[in-house]
Amino acid sequence: MALNGKVALITGGSRGIGRAITLKLASEGADVIINFFRKRGTAESTAETARSQGVTAHIIKANLAEPEKIDRMFTEIENMFGRLDILVNNAASGVARTAMELDFDAWDWTMNVNARAALLCTQRAARLMRNGGVIVNISSLGSRLVMPIYTAVGVSKAALEALTRYLAIELAPLGIRVNAIAAGPVETEALKLYTTDPGIPQQMVTSTPAGRMVQPEDVTNVVAFLCSDAASMIRGQIIIVDGGASLTSLGYTPPGDKGAQSAST
Amino acid sequence: MSVNTSVEETVKKIAQRILRKKDIAFAPTTTFKDFGADSLDIVQILVAVEDTFDIELDDEQLRNINDTAGFIAYIESKIAEKNKK
Repeated sequence: MALNGKVALITGGSRGIGRAITLKLASEGADVIINFFRKRGTAESTAETARSQGVTAHIIKANLAEPEKIDRMFTEIENMFGRLDILVNNAASGVARTAMELDFDAWDWTMNVNARAALLCTQRAARLMRNGGVIVNISSLGSRLVMPIYTAVGVSKAALEALTRYLAIELAPLGIRVNAIAAGPVETEALKLYTTDPGIPQQMVTSTPAGRMVQPEDVTNVVAFLCSDAASMIRGQIIIVDGGASLTSLGYTPPGDKGAQSAST
Repeated sequence: MSVNTSVEETVKKIAQRILRKKDIAFAPTTTFKDFGADSLDIVQILVAVEDTFDIELDDEQLRNINDTAGFIAYIESKIAEKNKK
């Protein structure tokens, strides 16, 4: 398996896309460290599923909005594993408000979890990547497209993408590759936080040339690829995984549904 | 946390810090929204309470709690549950 013997930390790795990334990397042979925010039971369950694939799985609770919790998490990783090969900055949070409704608390919270934590985790992770490594940042199309009540998250993801480019250059001499994935809306529970209209998922399908919404495995397949040696010449890039949705203009309806494909792992 | 510090006092201090308000006083039927808390404030209060008391609060059970008195009673029950283990 491509990632046999590697040690991977997935922030926010217990549920949603994070869970899918954790299990994908485990299926590729990586030992996984699952950072979670509040729900220990959910994290334990993800770890148990990962272990069933024959790898080591460890969970660490840490609120990434707090730098001291990030420090504590990496000290635990250093003590337990002594090194790190892969970091997936996946944890994200946000406040679903328009720009005019955003207060500074909501702004700080979102920026701290989605952008600052990625920087702080990378700084600590890089010191543990003594033989090089891979960092994958999970962004979203909201970094460049305007989506309703997505201001804070969209801006934080734009920061994350800029950070990806700076880190890719700065960490290249250390043999650390840094890239990001910007997915279109992925069919997970989190999507419901931003869509009150039950018809929206159908609109998303209609305006996506691939003929369906992005599924978690569409993202995890790209994460696994970026973690592999096959991606060694890809640096500082933002890989868009959206079934072509961002290429179309508003109201565009793809002809027929010839493009419809199902996700496969 | 000092054993002499009541759960209510500790929760009040957490709420004062997160809501940046000094004049927080819990009455039997007050809610955090009475002090201007929004959903983000409430998440931050929950996280701080969990960290401070080293407990895990269940979101399903929290949905059935309507006021700060119920919240404090729930925290006390989780602390007692932890101490039994």
